[in-house]
Amino acid sequence: MTMTIAAETAAKPARARGALRRQGTLVLRLGALAMFALIMAWFAFTTRGFVSPANIFNVIEQTAVMGVLSFGMAVVLIGGGTDVQTGGIDLSIAANTGLCAAVYATLLAGGSGDLAAAAAAIGTGIAVGLLNAFAVVRLGILPLLATLAVMNIVAGLELTVTENQVIGANSTVTQLIATGRFLGLSVLAWIFILFSALMTWAIHYSRIGLRLYAVGGHPEAARAAGINVGAYVAGTYAFSGFCAGFAAILLVARLSASTTATGQLLLAILAAALLGTVFSRRFVPTAGGTILSTLFIGFLANGFQLSNVSYYWVNGVQGVLILMVVAVTTFAKPQGK
Amino acid sequence: MLNLSTPMPIEERLKAISNYAVIFALVVIVAGFAIAAPSFLTGANLYNLILNNVVMLAIVAIAMTIVVSSGGIDLSVGVSVDMASMAFIMLLKAGVFVGTALFAGIGAALVVGLINAILITRLRISPFLATLGILFIGQSVQKIASGGGKPVYLANAKFAPTFNAIVKSEVLGIPTPMLILAAIAIAVYVLLHKSVFGRYIRALGAQPGVAWYSGIRVPFHTSLVYIIAAGLCGVTGILLSSTVKSYVPLSGDGYLLDAIGACFIGTTISAQRRPSVLGTLIGVLLLAVTRNGLLLVGWNFYWQQVGIGLLVFAVLALSFGLRGRGH
Repeated sequence: MTMTIAAETAAKPARARGALRRQGTLVLRLGALAMFALIMAWFAFTTRGFVSPANIFNVIEQTAVMGVLSFGMAVVLIGGGTDVQTGGIDLSIAANTGLCAAVYATLLAGGSGDLAAAAAAIGTGIAVGLLNAFAVVRLGILPLLATLAVMNIVAGLELTVTENQVIGANSTVTQLIATGRFLGLSVLAWIFILFSALMTWAIHYSRIGLRLYAVGGHPEAARAAGINVGAYVAGTYAFSGFCAGFAAILLVARLSASTTATGQLLLAILAAALLGTVFSRRFVPTAGGTILSTLFIGFLANGFQLSNVSYYWVNGVQGVLILMVVAVTTFAKPQGK
Repeated sequence: MLNLSTPMPIEERLKAISNYAVIFALVVIVAGFAIAAPSFLTGANLYNLILNNVVMLAIVAIAMTIVVSSGGIDLSVGVSVDMASMAFIMLLKAGVFVGTALFAGIGAALVVGLINAILITRLRISPFLATLGILFIGQSVQKIASGGGKPVYLANAKFAPTFNAIVKSEVLGIPTPMLILAAIAIAVYVLLHKSVFGRYIRALGAQPGVAWYSGIRVPFHTSLVYIIAAGLCGVTGILLSSTVKSYVPLSGDGYLLDAIGACFIGTTISAQRRPSVLGTLIGVLLLAVTRNGLLLVGWNFYWQQVGIGLLVFAVLALSFGLRGRGH
């Protein structure tokens, strides 16, 4: 498949546009980055307070939950390949976060200890992830379908736990996460920075990360090289489940409650993880791309808030900008799909 | 992947059975509900079930089937539904002639398809991201147009005959919406499975590189796929707004995951796991019957969702599991 496309590109007559494209590849490859910088610059010049350190760290804080979830999704995309229909995807991650948040908040509200509640939340997340892993790896169900079914199950379970109510929760740990500061930065910002650093190391500088790319890019070759492909793919879903549990704790801490609308985060998470792929040369998810796109989406929302744009417009302008960034970058790609 | 080892009879037989897992499940579920809920297998219930739950979802799911056959995906089906509904209702409210409003409604949906087509074929954005972007933009456009999501009701008697003519009328004793669905299903079946155009589309889905080499005009056919799909979703938009006699912003979004689910559940009836109109219709029936049956059995909304998830999971496990590892 890859070979056909490569051969096809080579066989394509070099039109003027093709030549131009080759010359401009380096510039256009950075197109997404340039767009990102341009939009940030526009906000910086037009919106008061946008570039103040307080605001920047405020955005990083707000982005922490999304960042953790985007990494969960990105890892699944790396391990499963980014094919639209058959590649890796975890549609259940947002619903899973909702269920974990419900479990965490319910246990805290019921008087459980911090450690027990956190363990239960992360345990729930990993359990759901393992169910996805079982469905995808053991049963061989398409990830899109398997995680869609699990999403329904998990969203239903969340509703039965919460009865569609907001559950308030407070503890020393949630207080610490929500209001604690260390070296001038809030705990949430620290968590996002440390988590991002750890993920960057794991994805790009560790053996596991290298093998994961091999598994996603060419499973047959990876298998031939002696990698246990099934275990790696299963691991990505378990990890995405873990991310759901971890993000749930941060979410409950930030809001002092579990909310009922967590499932709606799915599209934003997908957007962040997929947008991240345009920041890389080979259009695969990377740690840097994921961090950038998550921050991009976070800063966009923040910029609109500060410039008093009605929230009706926010989604739409985000959509337009995502399309523009992707279009500019995709132009550098040698072949359409 | 072709299995090149010597065929093992039992394995082959299991694979053959796996193609019928979803049909088997549908029969078992219908039988189960017929026993558990006496009101399930009554004419009135089935009639309502098909008219209110099946027809509109089925049309969207058929649209999704065309797109998935071509190797893409359309996350903006809900936007097409809503745009048609919005244009139709707002024009009716403004006093425009019904026929014009109908055409404008379908036209609004076609515009969504055209934009998708341009994004995917001209700007070469992947279908997933392009239609995701349009989904975001469509949601925003609706919020702006409706002042934050306020529904537009046309409940007064003046419009009742119009809506009744669309959704309550009958031709030869068969309700019009069912006829519309039947016509669409047959037309798309012929288009997808019996025409040259359909063969090209399926070639795009199976082997895009080979399709390009064979001289198939890939951008042209891809564009048509998204435009036709959006037009079909527009039909659902008209039916939906005529049923509820209003335009409810963002109401089309509810079809997205069910349509994807039905389409991919439908792929399990084919040995190559390809989408088909028949498979999709079975998928829609499976989802609709389960939802209706669980309601009649008395499960609350929360448990219905768990139940449907578990059922779909079980059907998929049966279908894919019997077949051996998928990839």
